[in-house]
This record gives sequence, structure tokens and C-alpha cells, in this order.
Amino acid sequence: MTKPKRTHPLGLLLHMATAIKDYWYLFLLLLTLYRQPLWFALGWTLLIFAILIWPIVRWATLSYRITPEAVEINSGVLVRHHEHIPYSRIQTVQRKQWFFLAPFKLEELVIETASHDDNKPEAGLAAVPTSLASEIDRYRQATPTPAAVTPTEPLDPDSAASAPSATTAATAHYRIDNRTLLKFAITSTGFIPLLLVLLAMYNKIPRKWTDAFINDASHLAIVVLVGGALLVILVAWVAAFMWTYFRYFHFDVALRDDQLQTAKGLVQRNTITAPLKRIQAVRVKQNVFRQWLHIQTVQVLLASKAAAKDDSDDLVILPAVPQAQLYDVAAPFVDLLPDHAPDLSSLSVTDRRKWYLVRNALLVVLAPVVIVGYFLPHWWWALAILVAIAYFQGLFAARQTGGGLVTPTLLALQTGHVWTKETYYVPVETIQSVRLQQSVWMKKKQLMHLTVNVRHGNKNQAIELRYLRAEQAQRVYDWYLHTV
Amino acid sequence: MSAENHHLPPRIKLIWGLSALGSFIALLIITGLIWLTYRYWNWPFWLVTTFAAFTILEPIIEAALIPYRYRFTRYQISAAAVEMQSGFIFKKRVAIPIARVQNVTLNAGPLLQWQKLTKVSIATASTNHGIEGLELAEAEALRDQIMRLAREARHDQA
Repeated sequence: MTKPKRTHPLGLLLHMATAIKDYWYLFLLLLTLYRQPLWFALGWTLLIFAILIWPIVRWATLSYRITPEAVEINSGVLVRHHEHIPYSRIQTVQRKQWFFLAPFKLEELVIETASHDDNKPEAGLAAVPTSLASEIDRYRQATPTPAAVTPTEPLDPDSAASAPSATTAATAHYRIDNRTLLKFAITSTGFIPLLLVLLAMYNKIPRKWTDAFINDASHLAIVVLVGGALLVILVAWVAAFMWTYFRYFHFDVALRDDQLQTAKGLVQRNTITAPLKRIQAVRVKQNVFRQWLHIQTVQVLLASKAAAKDDSDDLVILPAVPQAQLYDVAAPFVDLLPDHAPDLSSLSVTDRRKWYLVRNALLVVLAPVVIVGYFLPHWWWALAILVAIAYFQGLFAARQTGGGLVTPTLLALQTGHVWTKETYYVPVETIQSVRLQQSVWMKKKQLMHLTVNVRHGNKNQAIELRYLRAEQAQRVYDWYLHTV
Repeated sequence: MSAENHHLPPRIKLIWGLSALGSFIALLIITGLIWLTYRYWNWPFWLVTTFAAFTILEPIIEAALIPYRYRFTRYQISAAAVEMQSGFIFKKRVAIPIARVQNVTLNAGPLLQWQKLTKVSIATASTNHGIEGLELAEAEALRDQIMRLAREARHDQA
């Protein structure tokens, strides 16, 4: 392939969809301007330009070329970009296939490179043949990674010669079964933000309507109120369920050579390939609902931006695994995971130290409760619920906090923020720094906060365990200093 | 492990004092502007008094805390790690292994340049840690030492 190629015209649709997603508020703005013809016309021109002409121009100027050494992407209208991505610099390849692209054997390709000082470390091709990804894959396998990127891996000239034949068989493979997926989708906490949006919309309903309604049905007031609330919750919850279910439909993960590949989704099939050596830590996550159903999520924290647009910023490798099987299922994929549940009692918040966490949780809600309580005293019941939630959140955090050394070079840390238990497995090589904090009052009581910093995407993930006993925290600190 | 526990150079106190003075001047200007809004646009007078009070209190507190800040800010460097410590009421202590150091940056504003001091910031792959002021020569030696140790540490791993 020598001539640069354009992406498929269907890619244009995707460009436009993104433009609409980015500029839909312009449309709302337009609706408010209908009284001023001049601004109205100007607004329409702007809108048409933003969602129609600009994407067309962008599409027409975008071209790509695959050579044995690199992927080349030319783009830009006024400023021409010529991007040259050697295969060895590719970190992750993400493939997204909308259902309407499948019959045409097309997909969207996002190539992420290692340069992390760049604002935009990825290159996207909106609609390209599916064969392109496998071609890139073949070339990537053929190119040995340079020593600068993997200091631990010896360069093997033989592997370079033998690899390009075909993709090797997966060494580990897992596909979610429908029952677990259903459980996973039912317990999605995505309904909470949705609920807030619906509540905000409820507030926007003109007072006249609700008042008239309440007058008409005053004898049914309680029933209507409770029924309405339940309905809103149900709507939000069903929406969150559908969203999660379609997103994680037929979730599939495989380990090939040193690449993890996950595929998921029904409406849009999303395939991510990520190198194992970029893994900084493993996170096992479980919200309180999933605790009741005994399912857990396994994510990996990557030192790259690949999964940044994935929900909660991490590459999910196992969305839902029954708790009992977790370590059997997950260990083959990530070798740093232990093969059984570790003992996390050596770092813990027990006895009366848990009341500090309860106190802090209550302090967080104190200000809003006082302010709202002053202006809207008849909302006391909602405030009471809020205080109760904060109180139990404190207890929850205290109960979940834990950690300890799994092996001499692997630290496990567990936290309980926002009703979610998170267990991190962090090898000592990827801990960037460790920090201890202690106030004067904590010194008297022999307490300390411990923060472990790990790279996550292009940012920092601080894992903080609060109100540990000073000697426990100090032991982790000393272990870190002596092991590195 | 207590290799050598260093204090910052004593002249840093002068810099901190000057920067307290600087914030006093900046706040004074803001207060002046707010007084003008009161005078010409009839903004409420309590805004002026609040800002005036803040203008007086903030630099005093900042200046009063200097000896405390100086006394409890320390750093130490061993073959394996850089450790920094600060604060007494809220004591913080951080360990950065030399093997994790990605780069060391020295930078100095005009005040620090005048006193031949420099700030040192040590970056890992994800975090940034700073020493507020060191003698220029010392900072350069420190940078070279850290970078040499970092190179060696990386060599050991391979």
C-alpha cells in the first residue's frame, strides 16, 4: 500500500455524530434567538458549519497509509498534520464497531502512542476496514519492542522472524455468562446520577401544575408522592440497567502473548488491546449492591490513556466474577494477582478508630445539612436520610479498610470510599512514592494516614488509607524504602 | 533510616519574609481597588473592611509561621531514596525511591536568584515533589547525585 487512503464515507456519519454531540447546546441557544432574525441566521450558519461542513472537510482531508515500518496519518485543514507512528511506539489499539458498521466490515480505530507529554496521544480513524487492525497487529508482532521501552525484555532476533505468521492462540480466555451479566447490570450504580438529573427536572416543572395536581388529589397525596418517587427511581434504574447490559454484552477477554484483549458491547462493539507490561496495578472493585450478590469487578490500572474513556477510567478485564471464583478466574490473566484471597488484617481500622471515619463522614455532610435545614426545614426527612447515609458510610469505610503484604514485593490495599470496596494489588516496582501524614492530635493517639502513589493513565492514583495505627503505616513505609 | 537530615538554608527565611511582604502589597492593591468600587460604584462598605482585615492578618500569620515552617521542613537523601518531611501540626513525610525519579528540575524566581537559591522539584512517573529552596551549588550537586543514582538503579533492574 503506497498511496494514502481515505477512510470510508460512512466515517463521515461518525464525524457528524461527534460534532452534534459536541455542539448540541448551540441548537438550544438558537431556539432562544428566534426573535432576532440576524442572530438567528448567523446561528444557523454557525451550526450548519459546525455539524455539516467542518466534518466533511475534516473527513476529506484525513488519510492514512500502512507501511511495514509505521502507520502514517495525514490530517488537518489549515494546519496539516503528518503523523508517523512506528509500530514499536504503539501502546494500545482500540477498535470500536457500531452495529451499522458491521455489515460493511468497517470499524473505528484509535491508536494510542507512548508519548505522554502530548495532549493528544492518540490517533483516530473513523471508519476503516476491519482487516486494517489485524494488519497493524501483524506488523506490531513483527517489530521487536526497543530496549528503551522494555528494559527487562531481552531482544530476540528469532521472535521477530517467526511472529508475523498469525496471531498466536490465546493462553487464557474468559467470556461472561448471561446470568452474571444480568446481576452486574442490575447492580449498576449508574442510576444515581440519572436519579439526580430526573429530580432536577422535577424541580423545573411549573409550580402551578403540581399545585393544581396536589389540590385535585390531596386525599391521595402520600400515595402519589411515594408512587411518583418509586416511578422515578424505577425509570432511572431501568435506564442504567439497559446501558450497562448493552455496554458489557458478550464481554470477552483473552490473553495472547503479552497482550490483553477485551471486547464488549452490543450496539457498539469495543475491542481494546493492551500490553501486559504497562499494567501498574490491579483493582478489584465491588459496590455495596454487588457485595450482596457476591460479584466483583477486576480492573487493571494502565500507564497509558487507553481506557480513559472507558467507564471509571480503567481497563475492565473482568466486569463481573462470582466472588468465590475470583482468584481462580483472574489469576491467569494478570500474573501479579495471588491465587487466593489474601489476609488484609495487618493494616486495618478497628476498635474506636472507626469513629474518626464516621466523624469525618458526618463533617462532610454537616454544612449542606445545616444550610438546607435552615432554609427548607420541612425537608428534615431527606436530611435525616443524608446524615444516616454518611454515618453508615463512615462505618463502611472503617470495615473495608485493610491491607498487607501478599508477597515480599506485592502490597494489597483495600479502601471503602463511596459505598464501594476497592482492593488494589500493587507491585513494589510500580509504587512511585509513599507518604505518611500525622497531625499533632493523631500523634498522641498513635495514628497515621498512609498514601501510596501509583501511576494511572497519565495521572496519579493516590491510594489513601486513613487512621491506621502509626506502627502499621510506618512498617509499610519502611518496607517500601528497603525493598526498592 | 536517618542518613543526613538536612534543614533548608537559613536564608530561605528571608525569602519567605519577602514573599509575605509581597502578598501584603498585592492584597493592599486589591483592597484599594475595592475601596474605589465602594467610592464610585457604591459597592457595600463591609467588602472593604473584610478585605482590609484580611490584608493585615494574612501577611502577619504568614510571617509568624516562618520559624515554624523552617524548623520542621527537612529532607534527606540516601543511596536508595529521597525523603522529605514538613510540618509539625500536620506532619507529612514522603519517600521517593531514587529508582523512580524521572527528572529533577531546578527553578528559581527573581528573589531566589538574588539569594543564589533554587527550588528543586523531583518528578516520578506520576507525582511531583518539591524542596522549597536550596543553595544553587548544593541543588546542582543533588540533582547530579539523584540522576546518577537513578541511572545506576535503572541499570540494576535490567
